[in-house]
Amino acid sequence: MPQSTRWGRFRESEAASGLAMISPTAIYATLLLAAPLVTIFLYSFWTDGYLTIIREFTLDNYITAWSNPAFRAVMLRSLFVSLAVTATTVILAFPVAYFVSFFVEPSKKSLWLFLITIPFWTSYLIRIFLWKVILGYNGVINSSLLSMGIISEPIQSINYSVGAVITALAHAYAPFAILPIFVALEKIDRSLLEAGRDLGESPVMTFIRVTLPLSMAGVISSVLIVFIPTIGDYVTPLLLGGPEGRMVANLIDLNFKKLDNYPMGSAIAISAMAIVVAISLLFLFVNRRFLKGAK
Amino acid sequence: MTFSAEKATMIEFKDVHKYYGDYHALRGITATIKAGEFFSLLGPSGCGKTTLLRTIAGFEGISSGAVMIDGKNMAGVPANKRPTNMVFQSYAIFPHLTVEQNVGFGLRKDPRPQAEKDKAVAEALEMVNLKGFGKRAAHALSGGQRQRVALARALILKPKVLLLDEPLSALDKKMREQMQMELIKLQRQVGITFILVTHDQEEALVMSDRIAVMFDGEIAQLADPETLYRKPASRRVADFIGTMNFLPAQIKSEAGGKVEIEAHGFGQLTLDADQVSGANAEGASIGFRPETLTILFDGQTAADRESMGTVEEVVYYGDMTYYDVRLDGTDAPMRLSMRNIPGRPVLDIKERARVAWSPSAMVLFR
Repeated sequence: MPQSTRWGRFRESEAASGLAMISPTAIYATLLLAAPLVTIFLYSFWTDGYLTIIREFTLDNYITAWSNPAFRAVMLRSLFVSLAVTATTVILAFPVAYFVSFFVEPSKKSLWLFLITIPFWTSYLIRIFLWKVILGYNGVINSSLLSMGIISEPIQSINYSVGAVITALAHAYAPFAILPIFVALEKIDRSLLEAGRDLGESPVMTFIRVTLPLSMAGVISSVLIVFIPTIGDYVTPLLLGGPEGRMVANLIDLNFKKLDNYPMGSAIAISAMAIVVAISLLFLFVNRRFLKGAK
Repeated sequence: MTFSAEKATMIEFKDVHKYYGDYHALRGITATIKAGEFFSLLGPSGCGKTTLLRTIAGFEGISSGAVMIDGKNMAGVPANKRPTNMVFQSYAIFPHLTVEQNVGFGLRKDPRPQAEKDKAVAEALEMVNLKGFGKRAAHALSGGQRQRVALARALILKPKVLLLDEPLSALDKKMREQMQMELIKLQRQVGITFILVTHDQEEALVMSDRIAVMFDGEIAQLADPETLYRKPASRRVADFIGTMNFLPAQIKSEAGGKVEIEAHGFGQLTLDADQVSGANAEGASIGFRPETLTILFDGQTAADRESMGTVEEVVYYGDMTYYDVRLDGTDAPMRLSMRNIPGRPVLDIKERARVAWSPSAMVLFR
């Protein structure tokens, strides 16, 4: 029986059942994502008063952070590392995704995707330690090169360097980059590629004029999926970066823990987030023609 | 339509075989297609017609034999270097491009200045009745419009041969009939050799100058539509093209260009030797089309022979009525078609009917 009160009508409505269905996730997201974010945001405008937090609006934290050359250097290094990781990962992921989509027979595709995800069976930390084993001073690379007589003493620069961070991160994020590109390639109607050939284009030109533009949506997803988390990566630079490989997450950590300056840590975190958002939006804007319209 | 001997050969298949592993998809195709011809490859699904078309386009290699286009052996020539263009079954319109970018796709290497290329694109769009659609996004088009874009995109390159892979199968009946007419007109206008793959026998009959009927990787008959319909080379072809009634028959004697047969319910008949057609696995039989039988109404007399029968089924089509009539003394009903003329009654099931027929309209399969 329909109820005549406003509340009764609402309870009968589709909106109510929709809200009921999303509420577990919504409550979870509100408590564990939105609330901490708002807290950090508020903190970034307050001041550290040694033992207390002075809750008065101020932009001092931001001004201090941005006028500090050390912060700018770390921020720039973080950007450089995540852009390098993104470029490396996506450029290496594309051929893998292309191979699985175009050259693996359909019945074996899921097996291949499964194999690609195997590195994830090991904990992220263990994988990083394995990279230390490979790249370390007495690691696999150095000892092999030494025993082959190619070098006379271990190369120091491959361990505890920005390069080591990029290598480990690119490896860690490879599956995240492969899967969206694979999905985009799978969706391409193969007769479009035949049409490209039929209309006089070589395989390479068909790739450039047909395959690549049609897979750009996947490439863009891959770029964002790799870029956004890597810029804030904490463990890899901590364990593999050495003093010259520290990134912005390590700086935030330093401010929150050792320096006990929550407002400064928050301001750096919000700044880093703003930069990521700005770059991501710019990237999407530049590539907007690849994202619209396709059915 | 007839073709004089001076028509040049455009495509020649020389004993073409194609294997997919153990599967023998094309079993020795030998045929020629003439320049300017509207040619159809007709057959049920899995007969190899699309595979054969794709060997012309260069998307499918062949295991042995040769495919010649305009006198040149196409062995080792990739799809992008062949003088053919294709209209794909799915149309294969590039979804990331506009209509005019699609149509102009193949003009990249064309040395003409851009303004002339733009003009060619506009003309091609006009030719397929899509004037003013150039700026539209390709994915916003209807099925019929996509097909026109695919046609314009192929024809703008002035190929020697246009290949059409079941281009009308995705359209509804009205649209399909309209496009059939447009394609025929377009082919006459541009004069390019069209090769159409279809499983729709009516479509092949309507559109083609000549048709190759294919079964199981072989060409069962290659002929113009009328020959195909009037004188099918085998019972299987006869069954595939339109409707044909079959009756078992015994061949009594063959002499002097005449064949004496005995057919159940028709008695002794004398046929001309040129009414004798190809093989029938099920033994000799005579066949005739529904329209060669006529029901006689009051006062009408048969021009040749006349039998009595009983109506067993009536199917009313508006302009036509199909009757299943069992002639006295026969085992199975025969389908016949009558044009519905005003004032002529439509018979009911179980009514008796006088049926006129003629031995000269029969085909003998042996």
